[in-house]
Amino acid sequence: MNRLLLLLCTLCLALPLHAADALPGDSVYQLPVTLTDQAGHAAPLAARRGQPQLVSMFYASCTMVCPMIIETMKATRHAAGDPAALKLLAVSFDPARDSVARLADYAGRHQLDPRWWTLARAEPAEVRPLAALLGVQYRQLPDGDFNHSSVLLLLDADGRVVARSTIIGRTDPDFVAAVRRLAGGRP
Amino acid sequence: MRRRAIAAALLALAVACATASAAEYVPMPGGRFASVLPADGKTAPAQVAPFALRTEPVTNAEFLAFVRRHPAWRRDRVPTVFADGRYLSQWAGPDTLGADALPAQPVTRVSWFAAQAYCASEHARLPSWYEWEMAAAADATRADARSDPAWRERVLDWYSRPSGHALPAIGGPPDLHGVRDLNGLVWEWVDDFNALLVGSDSRDQDGADKLKFCGAGAISMEQKENYATLMRIAMLSSLKATDTTANLGFRCARPIGETP
Amino acid sequence: MSTLLRTLLATASALAIAACSGKPDAATPTTGAAPPQAAAQSGIPGDFGPPQGAPIHAVLTSPPNVPPPIHRNYPAKVIVDLEVIEKEMPISEGVTYTYWTFGGTVPGSFIRVRQGDTVEFHLKNSPDSKMPHNIDLHGVTGPGGGAASSFTAPGHESQFTFKALNQGVYVYHCATAPVGMHIANGMYGLILVEPPEGMPKVDHEYYVMQGDFYTVGKYREKGHQAFDMDKAIDEKPTYVLFNGHEGALTGDKALTAKVGETVRLFVGNGGPNLVSSFHVIGEIFDTVRQEGGTVEQHNVQTTLIPSGGAAMVEFRTQVPGSYVLVDHSIFRAFNKGALGILKVDGPENKAIYSGKEVDSVYLGDRAEPNLHAVATAAKANAAGTLSKDDQIAAGKQLFTGTCSVCHQANGAGLPSVFPPLAKSDYVAKLAGKDKDALIAIPLHGLNGKVTVNGVEYDSVMPPMTQLTDDEVANILTYVLNSWDNPGGQVTKDEVTKVRATPAPAAGGEH
Repeated sequence: MNRLLLLLCTLCLALPLHAADALPGDSVYQLPVTLTDQAGHAAPLAARRGQPQLVSMFYASCTMVCPMIIETMKATRHAAGDPAALKLLAVSFDPARDSVARLADYAGRHQLDPRWWTLARAEPAEVRPLAALLGVQYRQLPDGDFNHSSVLLLLDADGRVVARSTIIGRTDPDFVAAVRRLAGGRP
Repeated sequence: MRRRAIAAALLALAVACATASAAEYVPMPGGRFASVLPADGKTAPAQVAPFALRTEPVTNAEFLAFVRRHPAWRRDRVPTVFADGRYLSQWAGPDTLGADALPAQPVTRVSWFAAQAYCASEHARLPSWYEWEMAAAADATRADARSDPAWRERVLDWYSRPSGHALPAIGGPPDLHGVRDLNGLVWEWVDDFNALLVGSDSRDQDGADKLKFCGAGAISMEQKENYATLMRIAMLSSLKATDTTANLGFRCARPIGETP
Repeated sequence: MSTLLRTLLATASALAIAACSGKPDAATPTTGAAPPQAAAQSGIPGDFGPPQGAPIHAVLTSPPNVPPPIHRNYPAKVIVDLEVIEKEMPISEGVTYTYWTFGGTVPGSFIRVRQGDTVEFHLKNSPDSKMPHNIDLHGVTGPGGGAASSFTAPGHESQFTFKALNQGVYVYHCATAPVGMHIANGMYGLILVEPPEGMPKVDHEYYVMQGDFYTVGKYREKGHQAFDMDKAIDEKPTYVLFNGHEGALTGDKALTAKVGETVRLFVGNGGPNLVSSFHVIGEIFDTVRQEGGTVEQHNVQTTLIPSGGAAMVEFRTQVPGSYVLVDHSIFRAFNKGALGILKVDGPENKAIYSGKEVDSVYLGDRAEPNLHAVATAAKANAAGTLSKDDQIAAGKQLFTGTCSVCHQANGAGLPSVFPPLAKSDYVAKLAGKDKDALIAIPLHGLNGKVTVNGVEYDSVMPPMTQLTDDEVANILTYVLNSWDNPGGQVTKDEVTKVRATPAPAAGGEH
């Protein structure tokens, strides 16, 4: 919790720095949140700037919808022609259980190619602002599971949300088209 | 070890971020609480740890002081991912209140991100929904007055008042805990506003949003008669974190024992 | 629901295959106006293919007006902009209520599209709103009728698109929790989906919608009235109204037509609770499309309109006069406000109707409330300077609003139904020797047989409990000093005294 307070409070100090590289006001990279990936590397979310991103949130213990979110991200990338520039990012909203090791294990089991896939965790207090930013609703249940909404976001190189889809379990043609337009995959 | 380091960082921050005004916080007991949103979506009561709650909503004057100390939160500088176009638009200027925003009125048209940042500047956070709901159940003499029709009437009276009129100032009568204005002045942000997974079509008793909301599905509403609270949830669940409205303000909370 | 879930899981397993096909959408827009009977590309009845031509902004109208007929022979994209506005408005004379509205009126704006049109719906929620709202259009085929796609916070806008596949007239309403309260506050309206060939031409089309309202105070209790959830759950409305306000369709605001013209009413019922027995006194509906469907019924006196339903009724006017729209669950009409007037002008036709008409005194000047005299009297009473003339002036206003519905503005009553107050031997007798019994009539009502001016009446007059002691005193003083009655005066204190005594047993004869 404290870490979030620190971050939000220093946001005011951080913003002018971002402004220096002309980060757009509608970029999600405005949020100073640190992500740790399945290999244990920690970096600010904003470090992903420069390449288009397909982003969602999940948690590793989820047995039904979350694997479908991951599969839908895979399928969307493929349907868009496997664009080389496109990066895929799924952030856990269960940092208590989703350790780096668990994320690595999950990536292995789902055969997520580390060249474009990132599974990431954030500090507990930073998860909700990130979800708020991405428009994801979630709520932890007493048994440790989560209720959550499912959404895929397409970010441009500067972190602006270009497209959004709530269709899970199959590819959304409009969303795929947006990915292809942005990331320029093979037709 | 890590906690200690953070506490030190926070102390350092207190110098940079300290508020000029001394907002008052009072301790709240916590405990088991029959929320209108059962913890497990069925009947489980909520468990609330003791916490401290700000006695009054944040005012225009207080938020103005914050914006002057942290100009990044001026309405002409805030990134659009953190606040929509109506953010603080009732103020005469980016750092002046003007005639339409009196100092003692609760600040409204603030986004969730802005409210979070303000609370951080008071070394606090937004209250959780359960904390807020539990606090708002009190009246002048009881910690949970919700079964009293008079409590409900007081809440509903505000709903039925048109919102064209100017907001009153803060400083309504204190409840049992010494907290004011929880009901009857403005809507208030809660930290986990985006955890209130109410189906957007509330008639889906069976949770048509099971697809949208993984797991146990959209929360079913307990105590349907307690629609006064239900309407607040409907309001909060309609919001995005960047949204601002003319009737939406906030107050802050702190974990007990972590006041600076 | 579980079916959907199964479907989802099934599609998930087929995901890889489905995702690899990657074919572009087959649908390519055709140009030129296709005939309305063009085969549906989708094979779905009512789908006449993709929208053609430039997008059209729908004309929305406030009740009782209906947008003009659509003369178009191709499916179009129609853009509907509807704003939710929460506002205080009068629900009756001197009574205000906070309505939640689609477009600023109750019922909400009338929407008119053509079958096969693609409707791009923009729901805006005013920045001043307190509540989030959404819209469920009964004319939409899809989950929640659009409700799930249109949940909108104050100061925001939602957009969704649907194809109007079925012709008919459909209710729309807000479906945000608590749904009943949003509807009870006025959040409903009608959308008409015209058949491709259009509707038969008529001289007048009007929009009338019934709703029930639940206020904390009694019927016509003055001041601002809040919503009463308990009464709503008990289904005991304070008001049952056409077009949201008492007097919305009377006086200057009466619907109008000329003799020999055809009139089509789109009549909806928003509820939230009551079913309407819709009737126009003195008319027979030549054609009714009951429940808004396609089957025509003819020669109908009263048609049922379910809550959340609508009907189209048509008739040709034959004889001039005032025709009264009522919910024929008749206490709702005379004691809760469900009244409207259709005023028909033109030459008499004695061959069809030669009898004495019921004229337009039903709440005659209610449309332009003038309670100045009442206010003056109340003030004078408070100051202790109330004169008999003040009382008579105030009583006249109150009589017009409350009593003239039955006893008529000229005190003549209605033969064999409502006894006369004009030159009434009954009034004179009580005024002379049993004033308390006279006062008891408005306070406690009057049941059973009474003989007035030699004619026997056997009706029920309900207690006028909404009237204050003041108002009863003024009304009675007015009656005593009008129409050759014997004169006299009734004071507030006298009324207070009678109110404190129990109601007399049934049977009016003393």
